[in-house]
Amino acid sequence: MSLSKIFCPKFLPKHLLASAKVVTNSGDCIYKPRRHLSSSDVQFAKLAQEKKPDWNRAVSEAEKIVGYPTSFLSLRWLLSDEIANVALHLRKLVGSNHPLLKTAKGLLYNGKNNMQAWGLIVLLISKAAGHSADIPDMEQDKAAGVLHSQRALAEVTEMIRTSHLVHKGLVNLQPPNNVDASGDMMFGNKIALLSGDYLLSNSSIELANLRNQELVELMSSAVRDLTEAEFVGPRDRQNNPLPAKPKAKQVEYKQFIENNLEPLIVSEALGNAQAEWTLRNVLNAGSLLGKSCQGTLKLAGHSEDLQEKGYLFGKHLALAWQACLDREPFQPGSSGSFSLVCAPLMFTLQNKPELYEHIEKGLENVDEVDYDLLRAEVLEGPGLELTKKLQKEHSQAALKVLNELPASDARTALANIIAAVQES
Amino acid sequence: MGSKTILNVRFHEKIGCLFFGSPGILRRRGCFFDGVSSRWLAQCGYLRTDTAVGILQVNRSQRNVQATAVSPMHPCVRPEQVMTTLRSYATMNTQQPGPMPEYQVDPYRLLEDDLKDVYSYIKTVLRRNTYQEGLYEIATYYFDGNGKALRPMVAILMARAINYHMYKENSALLASQREVAMISEMIHTASLVHDDVIDQSDFRRGKPSVNVMWNHKQVTMAGDFILAIASMMIARLKNNEVTLVLSQVVTDLVQGEFMQLGSKETENERFAHYLTKTYRKTASLMANSVKSVALLAGADEQLSELAYQYGRNIGLGFQLVDDLLDFVSSSAMMGKPTAADLKLGLATAPVLFACEKYPELNPMIMRRFQEPGDVERAFELVHKSKGLEQTQFLAKQHCQEAVRIANMLKDSPFQKGLLVTADYVLNRMK
Repeated sequence: MSLSKIFCPKFLPKHLLASAKVVTNSGDCIYKPRRHLSSSDVQFAKLAQEKKPDWNRAVSEAEKIVGYPTSFLSLRWLLSDEIANVALHLRKLVGSNHPLLKTAKGLLYNGKNNMQAWGLIVLLISKAAGHSADIPDMEQDKAAGVLHSQRALAEVTEMIRTSHLVHKGLVNLQPPNNVDASGDMMFGNKIALLSGDYLLSNSSIELANLRNQELVELMSSAVRDLTEAEFVGPRDRQNNPLPAKPKAKQVEYKQFIENNLEPLIVSEALGNAQAEWTLRNVLNAGSLLGKSCQGTLKLAGHSEDLQEKGYLFGKHLALAWQACLDREPFQPGSSGSFSLVCAPLMFTLQNKPELYEHIEKGLENVDEVDYDLLRAEVLEGPGLELTKKLQKEHSQAALKVLNELPASDARTALANIIAAVQES
Repeated sequence: MGSKTILNVRFHEKIGCLFFGSPGILRRRGCFFDGVSSRWLAQCGYLRTDTAVGILQVNRSQRNVQATAVSPMHPCVRPEQVMTTLRSYATMNTQQPGPMPEYQVDPYRLLEDDLKDVYSYIKTVLRRNTYQEGLYEIATYYFDGNGKALRPMVAILMARAINYHMYKENSALLASQREVAMISEMIHTASLVHDDVIDQSDFRRGKPSVNVMWNHKQVTMAGDFILAIASMMIARLKNNEVTLVLSQVVTDLVQGEFMQLGSKETENERFAHYLTKTYRKTASLMANSVKSVALLAGADEQLSELAYQYGRNIGLGFQLVDDLLDFVSSSAMMGKPTAADLKLGLATAPVLFACEKYPELNPMIMRRFQEPGDVERAFELVHKSKGLEQTQFLAKQHCQEAVRIANMLKDSPFQKGLLVTADYVLNRMK
């Protein structure tokens, strides 16, 4: 995937790569790098690998099944003038505080949440489901067992996701509180905005080249959902999400609408821990992965019914994934901040609504929140257990779809990935 | 004076090659100076020669006419009001020597029914695509009906002209063509929204720009949102070719924006760079949206290429005039601050032309007018030089080329509208 290529180590000084732990407030979780790329990082990476061996093995085996990592294809982006330019401009930002650098690091080192895995899953489900017999040989990548168009779609998925993360990493410089004297932040925003736009526009050209208008509409609606995610519930000045005030009466989340081209209804979910969490993360992740899986089955000429199942598979997998990431900041020995809309905290809030006054301290800036206090509360309550349960439900829903497909190496690889998510 | 003229002609032939593919178009006009309308310059009092004084006097009397015509032209002007002013421009133009003949067609009035619902329709589509008020509010901020709606107007005009050209009286505007008109305005607006975040501008269309009003992260997302919805609309047209053509527009816009980040060393490179950037940032959208409406009408390659070339020339002319107005128009007229380009470090056509006479502009261009006094000095030098006339001359070439192309279509009110539009683009005040 292009952006992670341009953010490759040679453009960044060592000290930036060496930091072992990336904490983002703007993201949804704390990322712990697992793939070490610099020597000073080796020790930590080893530790991480020992802790969770299944994940890396599951992914690297899966990559072999579909030929090679999807992102390898995008090497050609590196040759474009625009990207060469971004790399140059990015160097100017080194030393500034602009979060674009954090985003760039995250793209490379955020372990489980890495972009490659998204494209990989799209390719695996493509291979696991196979394709209809009347697709000409020319359009197939026989060795990998997927269609060229499906490979392109996997790349589109990665580009859309990356573009969204890059745009999310802008800094709010809205006047009059703008204190950016150096202009670094403004320049960083410019580069981040243009890089994101570049990826988005290229994804739209790639999609157009597939000459399937239903697919274009589906994927565009996934982009829309991602943008919608950034408006759900209360926000601080930097647009970091805060949970809505818990409501006494809880409703169960359902997919509020039948046709997933329609936008999701937001207001009903707010204040209901599980419904709100699900809504946020369907918009933020589930929609894109779900629609990509749905789209790839569309390209293979499968029935509407199976396409719908593809959507459910991707959506549930993304949600299981997110639930797993949400639990990480509460592992023994963790410290520091975490996302205020992570599942464990939202469940805890639902149980102890009086804690919401601590959340409200972060309405201006989420850093004002007392994270140690909240962590202690979460560890006390049923939040973690409920999150684990939620994660299991979604893993199983994804496995259920998977089991309807014929047995194959690709299906096994997907099952391994789900298991790796589940076990951690 | 004489040698300077020759130099200029040569310089323009070079540009002619770049722009039109053949130097002939420019050579036909002969000497560079005869076609130059001195209106902008006279108005601002920049011409000092005796002949210019004459022109200035003529222009003074015109300015009175204009003053009455212009007074309702607040930045918040509605398309209907533009119509009345537009007519007065058309009349005024006949008082000047020049190849632009007078046409009795007013495209905005001609398309009144088609255009009156453009903005409300776009808002309806956006409304259907989100239940979140915050997002809806930002996304619809610039669809308030106060824009010129130039892109939808040109798209619909071309659609109707092409339909007539192909099917005579039995031609109605296709629903899909109307959609393309909306889409072109949406893509344009999405790019404005992102431009505002990049450039940190304060005003647009006479009101605070989006980046002043809202969180920049949300503004960025709202831009992406508009683009996503436009892209869904494109997909629903179910036409592979049109989807490809319109996706290219978005890529061009971004690449144009990237080009704006860098500057080139030598004069020639710089001009080519500027022209390519102008095509990508402005002309591509107009060219490809009119090409799309032609494709939807079932036009063959030749006819859709004709539409494309019309849009491309109009687009280039439009942007050249825009760059010109940045130097001569008042803030109140434009609804946004003037000399904005210089302040952003951008060297547009007037500066590049002025560079010929005042090489001291070169280092300023290279440092993007960042040192104190650069902007003021460059502004002054541009006005001292022939840069503004030369820019207008170039814009005129493009508008004339657009007229020549539009004349290849069968005669209809809409085809006449295309001619008037070229005139409007050249002679607009905002």
